[in-house]
Amino acid sequence: MISPPLAGERSTIVSHPILELRHISKSFGMTAAMADVSIAILPGQVHAIVGENGAGKSTLIKILTGVHQPDEGEMLVDGKQMQIRSTEDAQKHGIAAIFQEPMVFPDLDVAENIFISHHNLGLVMNWATQYQHANEIIARLGITLDPRRLANGLTLAEQQTVEIARALSLNVRALIMDEPTASLSAHEVDRLVQIVEALKMRGVAVIYISHRLEEIFRIADTVTVMRDGKHISTKPISQVTQQGMVRDMVGRSINHFSMKVAANAHGEKILSVRNLTRDGVFSDVSFDLHIGEVLCFAGLIGSRRTDVGLALFGVEPATSGYIEVARQPVTIDSPQSALKYLIAYVSEDRRKFGLALNMPIFANISLPSLKKLLRLFGLIDRKAEIAMAESHRERLSIRTPNVTIDVGKLSGGNQQKVMLAKWLETEPRILIFDEPTRGIDIGAKTEVHNIIRELAIRGVAIIVISSDLPEVLMLADRVLVMREGRQMGIFDISEATQENIMALATGQTAAMSQ
Amino acid sequence: MSKFLRSWESLLILILGITTAVNISLAPEFLTLQNQVNLFQLSIEKIIIATIMTLIIINGEIDLSVASIMGLSACTFGTIIDVGMPASLAILLCLGLGIMLGAINAFWITIIGIPSLVVTLASLIGYRGFARVLLEDRGITGFPDWFIALGRDGLIGSLPLSFFAFALLVATLSIVLHRTGFGREVFTIGNSAEVAHYSGLRVARVKSILFILSGGISAMAGLFYAARLASVRGDAAFGFELDIITMVLLGGVSIFGGKGSMLGVVLSILIVLNLRNGMALMNITGHIQTAVIGILLIASVLIPNMLERLRSVST
Repeated sequence: MISPPLAGERSTIVSHPILELRHISKSFGMTAAMADVSIAILPGQVHAIVGENGAGKSTLIKILTGVHQPDEGEMLVDGKQMQIRSTEDAQKHGIAAIFQEPMVFPDLDVAENIFISHHNLGLVMNWATQYQHANEIIARLGITLDPRRLANGLTLAEQQTVEIARALSLNVRALIMDEPTASLSAHEVDRLVQIVEALKMRGVAVIYISHRLEEIFRIADTVTVMRDGKHISTKPISQVTQQGMVRDMVGRSINHFSMKVAANAHGEKILSVRNLTRDGVFSDVSFDLHIGEVLCFAGLIGSRRTDVGLALFGVEPATSGYIEVARQPVTIDSPQSALKYLIAYVSEDRRKFGLALNMPIFANISLPSLKKLLRLFGLIDRKAEIAMAESHRERLSIRTPNVTIDVGKLSGGNQQKVMLAKWLETEPRILIFDEPTRGIDIGAKTEVHNIIRELAIRGVAIIVISSDLPEVLMLADRVLVMREGRQMGIFDISEATQENIMALATGQTAAMSQ
Repeated sequence: MSKFLRSWESLLILILGITTAVNISLAPEFLTLQNQVNLFQLSIEKIIIATIMTLIIINGEIDLSVASIMGLSACTFGTIIDVGMPASLAILLCLGLGIMLGAINAFWITIIGIPSLVVTLASLIGYRGFARVLLEDRGITGFPDWFIALGRDGLIGSLPLSFFAFALLVATLSIVLHRTGFGREVFTIGNSAEVAHYSGLRVARVKSILFILSGGISAMAGLFYAARLASVRGDAAFGFELDIITMVLLGGVSIFGGKGSMLGVVLSILIVLNLRNGMALMNITGHIQTAVIGILLIASVLIPNMLERLRSVST
């Protein structure tokens, strides 16, 4: 059948898929991002896609919107085989996507933003009809929004509405929403649900990606679970339970990760944090950290774990709360003050915050410790600096011909080690790792894990922020779970499982304590 | 980094050799000490400021207000002399004024967070405005003889005081930039201010020091200018900032920050002076001289970028 455009007020009873994926696979180098995924998207339905970070959801979106091409398998639009080579192609077929961060032009008004992708407007714009059209489209979403307002002053939720209206103006038939509620308030979520209902009424298929399970039960007609790039299950919502969904998402048996060494006997308390809060970002984070202990911060992307790390390192200081280092109350309001208390932070974004890529290896390693190398008149002791770099090169087996080449020329794993060397040289008592193994290969990953464990044994207190649950279970002595800026609970490793961590991270159950 | 710089600097040495050879063939007296001194004298204020500008551009910033600070300092000096106060006091006041004008730039850039391009464009106009308001259409002369002598006469042999100021600045700033912890911070911030901040460097402090130094050095250059010409007017040193920035960029300093050397800038200063002198010997007018320098500037920015692009294609 030929699906009619959404102009009609028709509700679909029996229908054929708008969009169908058959046995789609996609690899990047050695990693299979998607393996043999088959999904059918029906008009007027909300199809939720869930999975852990790295399950393959982003790859799926990119294939649907023509950013990536599948290696194998076929895509059908209205039952006909199609290739989607670009986002413009996708748009032509009525497929559009909106993301967590809306893409609007702040200096244009609402109507201009809605019609920005129309290429056939002609030279002279008819503004009167433009605003009228905009009003009609907004009305179809069942909301009110002045089309003459500047996008600049809109809330995130309103910007999102503009994006949805833009998709509607292009006769969207399958709308992908990627974590649309990650930054919305409860009231705004309600309004988004209303909009989704309005879209369904118009026969638009919604592909809804979210970590918030309760939302999925509220909104979805069908749920597909993905894990490690594989399609695990697709079921109508009536046949799904929260426990079942979480089990499908986590899947792997814990036995695979039993390499965990016996927890260290811990020394005395080195860091004590009480009710740490940064207004509007996270609140009331409280924990203790002991010498030789590894505390992992688990949670989903957007759970604000990194912000807690940045507060402890003084980059984005906390607005209230109490921090004690070695039983002394301290104020941390800048990286300098954090370094004074021997707190170091290994950033997740190596290229942006970690390394000066166009500077030599030795200069990167010595950067936070330059004071140690300064002699008369502030001159740098070059020999000592090179020796410093060489000792780390040996200890961490950084593979490079010499330490005077620019760090940007090294492989990702070796760059990661240089960044580690830079912070180890500050001889920290408390070391915060933010996603220490993201984007590096398995070999380097194991090396980094070994280094972290060895540091703990040598008496460094360690915080690891990680989205990789197996990594958390392998490294941690205790696990602190966060969700949407709140601390949901702390597990001892003996009690922690992928299931109960995910349950807290997704807000499925009430907070458990200690 | 170092390899590329070395090749850039060797290119500059080559160009310098050619321009010198051409100049000697045009006028055998070119290499005499007196001609060289005259050559330096004509641009001495600009090349004094080019030394600190090198640090500022490597730091990833720019100071467009230097010539206006020069002008305002010179005009302030003239005004103070005009009301009959002693020149020695006027010198101190003008140096203090320069430091203050630099501190005002630093305030907007580091505390308020406005890009230095915008801040110093505004102060380029603002400080110049004050200079013009101060003197209106007047020119002020009648400086003490000793002051004029400082600007013109040899202090040791035929080398004037300003030449020693330049040499001292080149030597100290070159050591500061390439050998000290402060210089390392300047380079790192130019490479990535965020990495520097995350490494515990005091980014705002480093930038402030540079802009304050730039203000003080520019004010000093303004005094040398007043002494050499023995008069000041509201448009003193007008437009000098472009020549200064040209010399720095031609010296291989990256306009994006993080790359460059004092040696390269000194070589480029020598080349620019040689070119101007050579063209003057060939009776080429000042306007065409400026055009040639402009072409050089474009080439100095284009060539490294093209090399970079070629390299990234081949790897």
